[in-house]
Amino acid sequence: MIAGILLLCFGLVFLSGSALLAFYWAVKDGQLNNLPEAAKSIFDDDEPVGIPTDRFPVKQRP
Amino acid sequence: MKSQSLISSFNPANDPNTLDSYERAEIDASTRVPVLLFFGSAIFWLLIGSLLGLVAAWKMTHPALLDGMAWTTFGRIRPAHLNTVIYGWASAAGIGVGIWLMARLCRVALVHSKLLIAAAIFWNLGVLVGVLGILAGDSRSIEWLEIPGYATPILFVAYAFIGIWTIIMFRFRKPGHVYVSQWYLFAAFLWFPWLYATANILLVWSPIQGSAQGAVNWWFAHNILGLWFTPLGLASAYYMIPKVIGRPIHSYYLSILGFWSLALFYSWNGMHHLIGGPFPAWMVSASVVASIMMFIPVITVAINHHMTMRGNFGALKWSPTLRFTVFGAMTYTIVSFQGSSMAIPSWNTFIHFTDHTIGHAHLGLYGFFTMIMFGAIYYIVPRLVGWEWPSATMIRWHFWLSAIGIGIMVGALTLGGILQGFAFYDPAATFRTSLEYATPFRIIRGLSGFLLLGAHVVFAILFTQMLLRIGRPQEGPALFATPTEPEKEVAAV
Repeated sequence: MIAGILLLCFGLVFLSGSALLAFYWAVKDGQLNNLPEAAKSIFDDDEPVGIPTDRFPVKQRP
Repeated sequence: MKSQSLISSFNPANDPNTLDSYERAEIDASTRVPVLLFFGSAIFWLLIGSLLGLVAAWKMTHPALLDGMAWTTFGRIRPAHLNTVIYGWASAAGIGVGIWLMARLCRVALVHSKLLIAAAIFWNLGVLVGVLGILAGDSRSIEWLEIPGYATPILFVAYAFIGIWTIIMFRFRKPGHVYVSQWYLFAAFLWFPWLYATANILLVWSPIQGSAQGAVNWWFAHNILGLWFTPLGLASAYYMIPKVIGRPIHSYYLSILGFWSLALFYSWNGMHHLIGGPFPAWMVSASVVASIMMFIPVITVAINHHMTMRGNFGALKWSPTLRFTVFGAMTYTIVSFQGSSMAIPSWNTFIHFTDHTIGHAHLGLYGFFTMIMFGAIYYIVPRLVGWEWPSATMIRWHFWLSAIGIGIMVGALTLGGILQGFAFYDPAATFRTSLEYATPFRIIRGLSGFLLLGAHVVFAILFTQMLLRIGRPQEGPALFATPTEPEKEVAAV
């Protein structure tokens, strides 16, 4: 029982701990600077903001 | 880059910033084989899983159904249904969508596709051996981990391959922002192999003693929802909704807050399945608190998706992807609120052993996750095969059969479950009374299963047509109707 609970706590600590580490990296890397621009990172010149894309891609490569 | 070996991908001396620029179509095409392999097998298992579920549902009201053979008894059919739809369909579809999204968000062509093809083969082998093992009577009677011990290592190999591939892709990504969907994919692809291995070691290979097994079981079973399906589903929704309507997410700040609060709180949720069980009170209490804290990530997602869609709800008419995805995203809010409420001890003791819980599970895995996967597959497959969905009418049938089917199913189970709970709590009522309350609702649930099976058959036909390039070739997008100048509508917002 004790061993099980210890392992489980380890599980919870590992998960939360790795999340904290990843969060630390994100802040250090500047991932959280300028969020409004970041939201547009999935758009580009090909498929810009304002153009719906649930359509067949024109350019196809084999 | 293309001929790079697995070892050189991990070599720290190997400079990852030597990449060419890739066209979007090129990136999409590079994911074709592994993604279609995962999608195709997922849809196969979806059909098998629906049949198994249908049989299990009707056995609840007609126990004599198919009772001649050992492998069709309820105790085998029901876990076979669960594991087929969880590992065979939902996980495989999620992995397929995840691979495609990962390549797009890393902005590079897929590397080491052989690793993923191997993962797909191992995955399906694991599900096949596992489900046959369950039907043969080797089920382990641990919920969500019924797959026998000789099949789980096969599944784990597949998970591990995908985890390794994720790290390599991230290392070789094009510089730039890590979009919120990608964070969710990391959570899924990197945590889940670890969760799965831990749960299997503690419950199968060297089982811990006593009621701690229950704790590990539910720690795992809840995390498969929270740290596997939820991140995969949300990753897709956070990409598809803005991408389809062509409008950035309403509040990117909230989406980031949502991700990190999910990452920090969700792994504490599992013990709320053990309210009233023989466990230290602090474990259960901590879990109830964490369950209530889930309101934070859920509300951020709800606000974001609703506000992004505001002014664009007309787009639901012409985009199949959006229709399925928005249905799923709205259901996510509902099912999460319901889930948090079910963790409140006074309500939990009332509904715990009733059909209400089964309704909740289906709302989550079907109404939320499966619908979002359907939406994503409608978006992705045309970009992989270079062919258009052959029939808007069939897509419409698929949507309405799924939506109405799951609505009836969840409604019936929820209401029937509450009535059952009343009967359980009435000292004058016998157990038989509770069954009499539940039976009509269970029959309705059984009928709704036919609607869902019908939806899946339609979907499977559409997908097969796409693979074989049968049907009507089209030039235009897979829209239900020609959009009434959506560009102007969106640009005006």
